[in-house]
Amino acid sequence: MNPVIEVEKLSKSYAQTKAVHDVSISVCRGEVFGLLGANGAGKSTTIECILGTKKQDSGTVKILGMNPLADRKRLFEKVGVQFQESNYQSSITVRELCKVTGSLYKAPTNYNDLLKRFGIFEKAKSKVADLSRGQKQRLFIVLALIPNPEVVFLDELTTGLDSRARRDVWKCLEELKANGLTIFLTSHFMDEVEILCDRIMILKKGAIIFHGTALEAINASPHDKLEDAYLWFTDDPGHSADAELLGQAAREVENENI
Amino acid sequence: MKTFNTMLKTELKLSLRDMNMIIFAICVPIVVAVILGIIYGNEPAYDGADYTFLAQSFGALTTIAILAGGVMGLPMLVSDYREKKILKRFKVTPVSPTMILVVQLVIYALYSIVALILVFATLAIFFGYYMVGSWVLFLASHFLTMIVMFSIGMMVGGIAPNAKIASVIACLLYFPMLIFSGATLPYEIMPEALQSVADIMPLTQGIKLLQATSLGLPIESVFTPIIVMVALSIICIAVSIKFFKWE
Repeated sequence: MNPVIEVEKLSKSYAQTKAVHDVSISVCRGEVFGLLGANGAGKSTTIECILGTKKQDSGTVKILGMNPLADRKRLFEKVGVQFQESNYQSSITVRELCKVTGSLYKAPTNYNDLLKRFGIFEKAKSKVADLSRGQKQRLFIVLALIPNPEVVFLDELTTGLDSRARRDVWKCLEELKANGLTIFLTSHFMDEVEILCDRIMILKKGAIIFHGTALEAINASPHDKLEDAYLWFTDDPGHSADAELLGQAAREVENENI
Repeated sequence: MKTFNTMLKTELKLSLRDMNMIIFAICVPIVVAVILGIIYGNEPAYDGADYTFLAQSFGALTTIAILAGGVMGLPMLVSDYREKKILKRFKVTPVSPTMILVVQLVIYALYSIVALILVFATLAIFFGYYMVGSWVLFLASHFLTMIVMFSIGMMVGGIAPNAKIASVIACLLYFPMLIFSGATLPYEIMPEALQSVADIMPLTQGIKLLQATSLGLPIESVFTPIIVMVALSIICIAVSIKFFKWE
């Protein structure tokens, strides 16, 4: 089967720093793919190069077989995107934002159904700015789904949410996954990744250091939890040496106190 | 067209909700018109003039809304939308972000036209004003003034590094021109030194043109303003297109 997202040897540098180096990704239809890594590891740059909002230095990107820069108009009829930053007008209401978003596409889904499905229909008349963070994130999923997409990109959807709100958002995503939607997401939360993602990729300083399933990541590490395995993969030797020293200093202080 | 209409309707609602343009583009010109009407009534513009002071001021009053929208509203809105990544968001949709900028230009043009109608109605109903010159030439001048002021605003909004700097530049453009270009304080009552300062402001050129066309003065007398405005528009539009920052 043809991959929905196909990235080959993507590289991008800012001035002297390599933000993304030689990254290849292939995501199949119906798959949930998680891109992980610390802040500054190159997740956002990778997503932006895939979507064409940033231009890569080298490498090729294809979504649904199309080039995101050359076929923008055709491609984005079928691709839903939620960026990390909130991007809406300060006094716009939920309904207005949905209506305008719908007007951008040839065959949009009925946004009222989506709002109902994600439990924020009764907020349609509220200003987006007045929603709670969890409601906002659910609204952003609704916006990403309005084009009736074949694939959605969700960048750090649950960052800044409390556990309950996060769980609500997961429920929404699990439902989408069950419906066969292809999802490309980035996240900081390993519990979330473990539940949702079929496959993960861990980036460190712009390069791939792991690619496979969550279970494979755990097995490849000396740990038995994804969180620990992730930290083990992304661990900076310099940092861990510091941590070691700090630990030692702390113990010494403790000993002196005794 | 569906996209454009929906966006126009929504952005217009947002703009009305904000109230700034209602105050600065609609209320201010009407208030100034009433004040000038009360002060000068039907006095002639100068001893022996064959038109009234108010008739001379009509063109200038219609530029207050253009000024408010062009150099205040537009730069602040464009830089705000860029900072909020609204323009960037359009890049991952089938619609170009240019669309929302065009929508804004239409909205500010609408404010200018509504203000023009209301100022005319106020002066006509309460102070017996009527247009001596040609409406066609006057409206064409009005349109040219819009183009030059909007292109300045688009340039400022498009290249200012952030919303804060954009609003500082907007204020530096707006207030001097509001007061010293003849839009509110009539050019004719300014001392000569001030007039020469006013002469270098782009809006003053537009006001001279609007005055000439509304009073039916020979068009040759305002050749310089026309050339200055066209040149300035071309420069600002070129700079906007070349250096506009979408994010």
